[in-house]
Amino acid sequence: MAKLLIVDDEQDVREFAANFFRKRKIEVLTAAGGEEALSILEKEKVDLVLLDIKMAGIDGCETLRRIKEKDKSAKVIMVTGRKPEEEGSFDRCRQLGALDYIHKPLELDELERIVLNQLFQNKK
Amino acid sequence: MAIDYKKELEDAARTMILVHEPDTLIKMIVRRIVKIVKVEHAGILLHHKDKDTYVLTVSRGAPGLKIPAGFARMDADNSLIRFFRERMDKRFFNDGALVYGEAKKILRKNIGSEVKKLLKGVLYQMEIFESVVCIPSYFREDLLGMLLLGAKKSGRSFAKDELDFFVALASDVAMAIRNAQLFRELELELDKKHRLFIHTTIALAAAIDAKDHYTHGHTARVTDLSLKIAKRLSQKNKKAFDEKFLEHLHIAGLLHDIGKIGISESILNKNGPLNEEEKKRMQEHPSVGATILQPIKELEDAILGVKHHHEKYDGSGYPEGLKGDQIPLSAAIISVADTFDAMVTDRPYRNGLSKKEAVQEIQSSSGRQFDPQIASVLAELFQENKI
Repeated sequence: MAKLLIVDDEQDVREFAANFFRKRKIEVLTAAGGEEALSILEKEKVDLVLLDIKMAGIDGCETLRRIKEKDKSAKVIMVTGRKPEEEGSFDRCRQLGALDYIHKPLELDELERIVLNQLFQNKK
Repeated sequence: MAIDYKKELEDAARTMILVHEPDTLIKMIVRRIVKIVKVEHAGILLHHKDKDTYVLTVSRGAPGLKIPAGFARMDADNSLIRFFRERMDKRFFNDGALVYGEAKKILRKNIGSEVKKLLKGVLYQMEIFESVVCIPSYFREDLLGMLLLGAKKSGRSFAKDELDFFVALASDVAMAIRNAQLFRELELELDKKHRLFIHTTIALAAAIDAKDHYTHGHTARVTDLSLKIAKRLSQKNKKAFDEKFLEHLHIAGLLHDIGKIGISESILNKNGPLNEEEKKRMQEHPSVGATILQPIKELEDAILGVKHHHEKYDGSGYPEGLKGDQIPLSAAIISVADTFDAMVTDRPYRNGLSKKEAVQEIQSSSGRQFDPQIASVLAELFQENKI
């Protein structure tokens, strides 16, 4: 089964997204912040990370940098708001090797498509 | 026990009369639905005009089912949005509620391939939002929002009176949102008109300034200082001036020299002291200003500030020789600000004083030319480096 790690500091978002993808036959792990995500990734091999940019503590960009430092081939999709400062962070994330990005508020069908496409490619 | 939906609706209507903030209202409505009908989750998407998109604004329900506010959206090309905007609901669901099971049945009918495709899209959207009922909110033909409902906790399907209840609530929501929007637009419009008025006044003030070459920017500085003095005065007396007073002071500050419009530039810009005749002409400017503004009824209070800004505390000023408290407060404030600015500005026949010297001059005339309280506020502001 494909494995997805969802990183977001909002509990509602983690719960909803986890439920959403579990129903789509994906194994889901969640982390409430960058530190937790990194420690999960030490132990677990996941196929895809869904990473929120704006988080308390170490933010999405920094988390991405550290993930990529450890595993260059890690697949990460950023989730970001429309605020200008977040748009700025996104450019940095792209340079750091983020695969794609999804803007919040997002379209659920788009979220589903982007994530499933990535996971599906993985399995090929 | 059967729920009395009529009573619930009346309750809801009462709440709506009391709550004018649409966000609060919508939250209350969603909470009410979840509580009364016991659905797994309920959410409302609202139209955002600027991006023509519908954002899930309020959602309630069990963890994992409720969608975090601001997390999800539906764009104008979303099948559900298109379905409602094209008023397909009228064609297939005459009671206003789109029910998943019903929609699935309709799919089997002969409805044409285009519509079938759209309906399939609708069903898919309902599936990803885990909704079994979807109710649009319209104002006239505009789709303002949408109520999404999950399955009932009991697993039963929705009864007709429940659906009617939702439809009624959804139309109330539309009305409430519409009212709030109209209210906001009205406020914006008023604000715009007000800014137009202030800017027109500033333009008029600039026209006066332009006549007097040596006092460039005088009007703006006097207005600014007058407002600073007024604010400090209200802090000191622990009595807030109402917005109206500050507004009138603002306008009076801008227009205090408007009477100079009738004075020739040769007098205004004279390189040297004025003779008696010229002095007389100059001294007419406050009453000329008041006469110019007289027809504008709304400016009544501001006119007093214009008319009396050359009165003196001891009664030796003009045009009416008012004394002490007889002098309108706005005029007394402008008098201090006006004199201070005139003192520190270079004139054709003399160099301006330093701020310190000007403040000392004004203090020494406190109680004779100036209201003592205002003179001391000026000194305070100066000591605190605020002017």
